[in-house]
Parts: sequence; structure tokens; C-alpha cells
Amino acid sequence: MSAKLWAVVKREYLERVRTKGFVIATILGPLLMAGMMIVPLLVTRSGGKVLRVAVSDATGQLGAAVEEALRAARSDDKPRFDVRPAGPGPVEAQEAALKKAVLGGALDGYLHLPKDALASGVASYYGRNVSNRIDLRTMERAVSDVLVGRRLTDAGLDPTRVKDLTRELDLKTIRLSEKGEREDRGMASFVFSITLMMILYTSILMWGQLVMTSVIEEKTSRVIEVMASGLPSTQLLWGKLLGVGAAGLTQFLVWALSLLVASLFAAGHAVSDVKMPEVSPLMLVSFVLFFLLGFFFYSALYASIGAAVNTVQEAQNFVFPVILPLIIGMVCFPAVIESPDGGLAVALSLVPFLSPLMMFLRIVVLPPPMWQIVLSLVLLVLAIAGAVWVAARIYRVGILMYGKKPTFPELMKWVRHA
Amino acid sequence: MNDKAIVLEGISKAFAGHVAVKDLSLEVPRGSVFGLLGPNGAGKTTTLRMIMDILGPDSGTIEILGQPADHAARDRIGYMPEERGLYPRMVLEEQLVFMAAIKGVARREAERRLGPWLERLGLADWRKKKTNELSKGMQQKAQFIATVLHEPEVLIMDEPMSGLDPVGMDVMREVMLDLRRRGATIVLSSHQMEAVERLCDRVALINRGEKVLDGSVAEVKARHGKNTVVLAYDGDGSFLGSLPGVAKVTDFGQYVEVRLRDGADPQPLLQEAATRLRLRRFEIVEPSLHDIFVETVTKHGKEAA
Repeated sequence: MSAKLWAVVKREYLERVRTKGFVIATILGPLLMAGMMIVPLLVTRSGGKVLRVAVSDATGQLGAAVEEALRAARSDDKPRFDVRPAGPGPVEAQEAALKKAVLGGALDGYLHLPKDALASGVASYYGRNVSNRIDLRTMERAVSDVLVGRRLTDAGLDPTRVKDLTRELDLKTIRLSEKGEREDRGMASFVFSITLMMILYTSILMWGQLVMTSVIEEKTSRVIEVMASGLPSTQLLWGKLLGVGAAGLTQFLVWALSLLVASLFAAGHAVSDVKMPEVSPLMLVSFVLFFLLGFFFYSALYASIGAAVNTVQEAQNFVFPVILPLIIGMVCFPAVIESPDGGLAVALSLVPFLSPLMMFLRIVVLPPPMWQIVLSLVLLVLAIAGAVWVAARIYRVGILMYGKKPTFPELMKWVRHA
Repeated sequence: MNDKAIVLEGISKAFAGHVAVKDLSLEVPRGSVFGLLGPNGAGKTTTLRMIMDILGPDSGTIEILGQPADHAARDRIGYMPEERGLYPRMVLEEQLVFMAAIKGVARREAERRLGPWLERLGLADWRKKKTNELSKGMQQKAQFIATVLHEPEVLIMDEPMSGLDPVGMDVMREVMLDLRRRGATIVLSSHQMEAVERLCDRVALINRGEKVLDGSVAEVKARHGKNTVVLAYDGDGSFLGSLPGVAKVTDFGQYVEVRLRDGADPQPLLQEAATRLRLRRFEIVEPSLHDIFVETVTKHGKEAA
């Protein structure tokens, strides 16, 4: 690398790394990631405090059994309901008192069993909060068991025996990998892979946008004229891409490293309630690698937009077609998660515009065969070479061109004739 | 080795419908200060940008230090654009060292050279400040240092005096003459002719993209003769304009400048003025470049029309 190019790379790197925004994002990023991974786990798994409930029974025969079933109901091996006595009196008075208790905060809710509950299989839960779906599901199951049990007994069958005979399938998901099998929580894995992909997506866009605005700034402040009197435009472009890319890489290495530390920490505390999704070395490497390659691809395009226009506002029209592929990728990702080795996923993960996101997602969800990874990398590197070639040509003409924003055909002309 | 630092031959440049520079030929001798003068929009900046190969001419050739502009040794040329070409958020010192680095000067060497320059231009106390914290004049001086730190043989400066206070202008003028003494060739553009008149060895006046005259300052002035008279007086001098031989009277408040027709004798003017006014000053002077320019352009315009 020539001394001049090195000077440009260093300047670009230091200018990014020294900003407060960079420092904050680099430090906050891992915290945010940790939060995004752990919070959903906590919410989906352990829930909140035990609910104080009462049962108002109009059937006159199910109440005790239902109360008993609720007391015994478990979610994650923890009792979920603190069953309080419903109080004396006729059902109507009882209900009125319970309503008052719920509104007054003495109870979280109460369950009402209507007269025909046994036959109709209908019951109602009254509470201030009825969106705690996991708890309500637990309640539903417990009450349902009581009702079904009672019906079976009435029909002369033995509930325990019927339950044994009709035991439903409990499908456990176990993820196989080279390191051995491991029980996986589908939800956690899903959230985790989407989180990482979102980080990749926003980072590529953010750093690309940064390259674009800094090119525009150089044009506006006319620094570019002085720069161009020092070294050729192709070197200016490379200096910018490498310098800004190095700053992005620094941030990503910090993030990847903290991800590694977090996963090692979680592995060391396997007894703890929250199970972290597995982080493989392949995942970490591709996290950093696909950021870097995606960055180069999109930044080269962003740089040429910056060179072609005079203001950030003017750039917006050109930006959309460039980020369209990324948006398509974001729309398609559920299909890729659903079937990571299906035809669509394989195709998307090979297309250079999309492969930084899609191949990475596949690696996280279900590591694809090595040849596909290699092929996708090769295609991406070729696409980067092409993008930089085009960008260098637009750059050469554009950085010193002021005035009217060029049209797309004019840009094509620059590329052909530069 | 040729004795011309820069040679322009018949260069033209048009932008979407309007001609910025038309068939312009210039020669800048090595070791001279060359002024490219003209009003706003005359094509000065376009010409300098073509010399710097920022713009390509539509036709004509440009040679700089004996090589075509697009193959010129960039490191031997210093360029100062009209608008500030500095990174706004960079610390001054780092910025200047960086600017030298992209012209091939090693860091340590650039740091060594930087001190005296900052002292000389009065920026020593500002070396740790960010560029956008400097005043416009200071930025102009910083830009100047960025242009000279790699010790170029040729300096191309677009409006180097704009934005400077009188003290700053004097310092800048001194520094430029100093650089010339050390052998540098300086090309500068300006629309304020008085500001650079005393600095330039040679000038070219351009108007609407065309050269209207060029040569050494002495030549240009001699060509226009000593036909300007400065008068200061008490009394009503309104009759001066109607005297025979007088082409034009410009009132500057404290004094008036009388331009005589070609070949007219100033003696009758002196006699008439002495009898009708109380004279405090009567001096025959060389016309200013400004006057020469205005006169030439007016004549030029008439011929063209």
C-alpha cells in the first residue's frame, strides 16, 4: 500500500473511531444484543409473579376440584396460581364481591364456572390483565382436565387410565451439531438469529450511508479538489472504503468478541434458568466476514451515489434501488428460517446482493454444506470487484462534478467512458 | 529544461450551453508570480481547474512543468481552491500533516516544517483546534499552509487574498514573494486587482472566457501610457470633464482621477485647473490595472458588438 493511500485510510479510520457515536454504539451494541436475547427468553419462560385468583362456581360441584387443579398447575415447575377462597353467599353476590376485589387489587382475577360448565365446556376468566397468555393457557389446561375427568367418570371410565392411553405427543426439538446434541428452545433460537441478522442489516446500511454522506461532505467542502490533486480517484475511493471498513470491522470484532464471551459465560452457567442459544465459531467468523463483504459491496455503490450528487437530499432517489435487494432479503427471511436448506433459501443465499444476510442467516439456523458457503463467498467477492470497478468510474467523473444531478443514463455514460 | 512552468495553448471549455473559456493561450515563466485577473465569472477558476486536471479542456493543450496536465507530477504542484478545501472536524495540525502526506511528505518531515509556517502566519496558538473553530481568514491561512507544506515548484492559487484582513494580505504577499525568491512559480487568480497588482510580475486579464491582454505589469502599463492625472483641490471642479483632451473623470471624494485621451497633453489641464481652482495636488500617474482592465473590456465589448 502506498504511503499516500495509507494516510487516507488512517485518516478515514480515525475520523470514524474518534466520534462519540462510534464509542457509544460499540459499547452499547453488546448490551443491546444481550438484552434482545435474554429479555424474550425471560418473558417467554418464567413469566411474572404468581397470580392471585378465586373460583366462583355456579355448578356447585366442580369448585373444589378446579381449585385443587389450579393449585397444582405448574409452568416451568413453578406453581402459577395462588387460589383464594371465593367467599360465602349465592353465586351472584359472590361474583360481585370478587369483581370488587379484582378492581381493588386484592385479587388478580377470578374464574367463573357457569351452571352448564360441565356440558358446554365454557368458563370465563375475569381479570385486569388478560394478555398473560402463557398463564391463561396453563389455567385453561388445568380446568379442562378437571372437566374432562368429571365427564369420563360420569361415563363410567377411569380418568387416569384414559389420560394414560390418550397421552399426546410431546415433540422435543434437539439441535444436532458437530459439538453434540443439545436441546434447543425454538423461540430463543428464532429471536437470536433474527437479532443477529438485523444487526448485520442495519450495520451494512448504516456504514454504507456513512460512506455516502462523507463523500458528499468532501464535495461540498471542496476538500475533494485538494485530495484529487494529491492522488488518483481510485485510490481515494479505496482509501475511503478501507478506512471506514476498518472502523466498522473494529466495532464488529468488539461485538463478536462479546457475543463469544457471553456464550461462554452462559455455557459455564448451564444450571441457570436461561439457556443461551449456541454460538459457534463458524457463526462468529461469518458474522464478521459477511459484514465486511456486505459493507464493501454496498459502500462501493453508496460511494458512487455520493460522488454523483451534490446533496444528501438528491441522493435519496438513487439510494432506493441500491437498498431494494436488502429490503427484499428482509421480506424473505421467514421463508429461509422455515426451511433453511430449501430451494429458495439456497438461491437467496447465493445471490451477491442478498448473500451477506441470507447466507449468514442460514449459517445461524442450520449450517449449510461448505461448498455453498464457499460458492456464495466467491460470488460475493466477484460482485464486490464489479461494484468497485463501476464505483471507481463514477467516482472519477463525479467527485469533481458540480451542478445538476446526473440522470441514470448519464451515469451509465460515465461508467462507459471514464 | 524549458523555462516555462505552464503553457496553455488554445484551450476552450464549455458547460451546458455557455462558454466558460474560449481559445485561451498563456505562458507562465518559471520563477514568476503570474496573476490571472478578471471579474467574477470571467473563467478564472475554470482555467485553474483545467491546469490542475480537475476539468479536462474541450480543446487545446496544457503543459505543466514540461508534461501534459494529466500526467503532471502532482507532488510538485500545490493547489489552493477558492472555497476552503479542509476537513471541518479535523485538528489543524493533523489536517496539515495529512495534506502533506497525500503529497508524499513523511509525517516527521511535515511536522518539522509545520512549526515555522504556523508561527509565520500567526496560527501557532491554534494548532490543536478543529478547523471549524477557526475564523474564515484563519482557515484561508491554514489552507495556504496546506498548499505549500510539500514545497511545490508550482503553486496554483484561486483567490488567495479573499477573506483576509489587510494585515493578513500583507503577510500573504510577503510569504508569496519569499517563495518566489526561492524559485517557486506562482499562479494566482483575483478579481480584486489592487490586491495583487504589486505582487505580480506578469498578468493576464480575462473577460468572458477570453484573454483581453497580457504581459508583464510594467509592459501593460507602459502600453497604456502615463495619461492619468490625479487632482486634489478646493472649489467646484465640475467643469473638468468638459475640458478638451479629457476622456473621463472619476471622483474619489478626496481626489479626482482624470483620464486623458491618447496623446493629449496634460499642460492645458494644469493651467485651466490652476486658474479656476485652489489646487492642493496635481500628479501624473500610471493607470491602475483596474482602469486598464475596465477600459480594455469596454473597448473590447464595443468591438465585439
